[in-house]
Amino acid sequence: MKLPGRNSIAFRLIAAVLAVELFSAVLVGFLSLGYERHNHFHAFDTMLRGRADSVLGAVQDAEDKADNVMLDRADLHLPHTDVYEVWDDAGHLLGRSDNWQGCGEGYTPQKHDVFKLARVNGHEYRIIRRHGSRIVDPVKPGGGRLRRVMVVYGAPVAPVWQAIWGTVDFYAAGSLLLLLVTGPLIAWLLHRGLLPLRQLAALAADVSVDAWQFTPPPSAYRTPELAPLTHALESVLARLERAFVQQRTFVSDAAHELKTAVAVIKSSLQLLNLRPRSAAEYQAGLERCLADAQRLEDLVAKMLTLARVESGGVLNGPAPASDLASCVQDTQLQLAPFAELRRVTVKTESPAICRVALSGEDGSLLVSNLMLNALQHSPGETEVLVHLRVEDGNAVLSVEDRGEGIDPAVAPHVFERFYRGDPSRARTTGGAGLGLAICKGIVDRAGGSIELASELERGTTMTVRLPLA
Amino acid sequence: MRVLLVEDEVRLADNLAAALRDGPGFAVDWAADGLAGDDLAGNGCYDLIVLDLMLPRLDGACLLRRLRSRGDATPVLILTAKEGKDSIIELLNAGADDYLPKPFDLGELIARAKALIRRGKGKAHPLLCALDVTVNTLEQSVQRKGVLVDLSPTEYRILEYLMHNPRKVVSKRELLEHLYDYNWEHHSNVIEAHVSNLRKKMDSALPDALPVIETLRGRGYRLTAEKEA
Repeated sequence: MKLPGRNSIAFRLIAAVLAVELFSAVLVGFLSLGYERHNHFHAFDTMLRGRADSVLGAVQDAEDKADNVMLDRADLHLPHTDVYEVWDDAGHLLGRSDNWQGCGEGYTPQKHDVFKLARVNGHEYRIIRRHGSRIVDPVKPGGGRLRRVMVVYGAPVAPVWQAIWGTVDFYAAGSLLLLLVTGPLIAWLLHRGLLPLRQLAALAADVSVDAWQFTPPPSAYRTPELAPLTHALESVLARLERAFVQQRTFVSDAAHELKTAVAVIKSSLQLLNLRPRSAAEYQAGLERCLADAQRLEDLVAKMLTLARVESGGVLNGPAPASDLASCVQDTQLQLAPFAELRRVTVKTESPAICRVALSGEDGSLLVSNLMLNALQHSPGETEVLVHLRVEDGNAVLSVEDRGEGIDPAVAPHVFERFYRGDPSRARTTGGAGLGLAICKGIVDRAGGSIELASELERGTTMTVRLPLA
Repeated sequence: MRVLLVEDEVRLADNLAAALRDGPGFAVDWAADGLAGDDLAGNGCYDLIVLDLMLPRLDGACLLRRLRSRGDATPVLILTAKEGKDSIIELLNAGADDYLPKPFDLGELIARAKALIRRGKGKAHPLLCALDVTVNTLEQSVQRKGVLVDLSPTEYRILEYLMHNPRKVVSKRELLEHLYDYNWEHHSNVIEAHVSNLRKKMDSALPDALPVIETLRGRGYRLTAEKEA
């Protein structure tokens, strides 16, 4: 078992438990001190009172005319460290222990016992002043004579304190022993208790880019403290894996596209070089190569656009805003020659202004990709309808064509990168299968949605919803 | 020889078809997707199939498996832009004969195409010999007992096809199918003229030589059986 480091939870828990134990030990010490002190001194006072009474008992009739009393010390057996003196109400000292000079106060009339502390022979004593009375000759007519006496009795307090400290010492030693035993015991129990956490950490450490397998131990699910962490880890890893797989697929797809584009250029050049050709043939060949190179250039540009659109989750700077209505008008103008070439009419319907949370560049890219897509899939003598409107605080742009429609089996894939609904057609019309993926990237980043409704042989409607700026 | 090219990238297909027609003088049919390719391959008249892997509708690997499960033994050359040896091993195990990674060299593609056709016909060497005739498939030249015979491209292709199948009776239809792409029916009336010209040129190269090609009426043509001298 490894010793926990200063910052470990185990260390902190052990330290906390020991601190609490120490605090309660000190508290128990003080409480026991107070309790024992009260108990012992109560007993001590009772004892003092008893001994004072036995001294009082030794006060006897002096058998003189004045009916005085005297102290008969012959029968007194008291500890030799104790001190006492006896006074009568006439102020006479009746007797005193040999080891004392007295407190020098004489007789003080008081009803109750009075305790006080005093130094006797250099030691601390607790002294009681106790009043009593004797009736001299009670058988005499008149009931005898009442004599009041006062006993002053003292005993050293050192033995009492010794007993008190002895008890407190016992408690302190017990607590300390408990601390020493519980420290390692807690450390061991914590080590055992934290086992699920260590198992989880070991499993999580095994996860890498190449091995996404993460099956948390059942103990991690059963432990209420670990379950949220385990679930979080699982979902994070799953999301990361998906992102990685997506990225890898993109790279492999991109490599495939680029290699094919390079293969076209290379084969065009090699074909030209296969045998000697006329100047006209060379010229035609070079033009084809240039066109191929242009396509490669467009493909790279589109890939970069897609990467830009998909990369930024967080936008820096002020929130972008642009007028989608003017984007629609500009794009219509730009695509007019292409539409004319394909003999397709473009009809637009839009409010004068419609500001959405997109940069101007992304706005035109989105609109032109959607319109170009619709134009490419429109047969001659048909219409493309572009309709922009505001609904429930969203800008809604729909682009509708009367083309061949999209197979329902294919529809879920059209927003995937490099996906072509009808590849041979897309190739001849120059698409790389990135247009809709770019649209989706733009819309997703702006917090909008894009969806398609299509019917075979009837046409397709793409609908984009974007939050208004 | 007739080649089926299954490739969805139009410009690449154009270039490949042009190169295969221009260089070795093959007849080339082009299919733009996997299903069309599968359809055409079903005709069974191809000497080689050049197959791209990433195809719409039916991908190259599936097409290859369909082909082989039908018992079609046509040599298949795979064009791939995919990385990784695993997919190549898998394809070769599935019945592909060779592969070329994109972007490839056209010269290499033509050489591999020729070698695959040759191997498909059981020949190991580009020099085909039968009787006293030698056909060099690299130079596309023909010699008879060391005497060079000058042939037109179509005549050469007829002779090369017959030389690849020395003892086989080759019907006019088979000849047409393997020498022309899918519009071969337009050429059916001229094939006899080509064979007749070929026979004349071959026989006139040496005055006392035996005829090289014999006609089996109603069945077709074949190279004359070798006689013990």
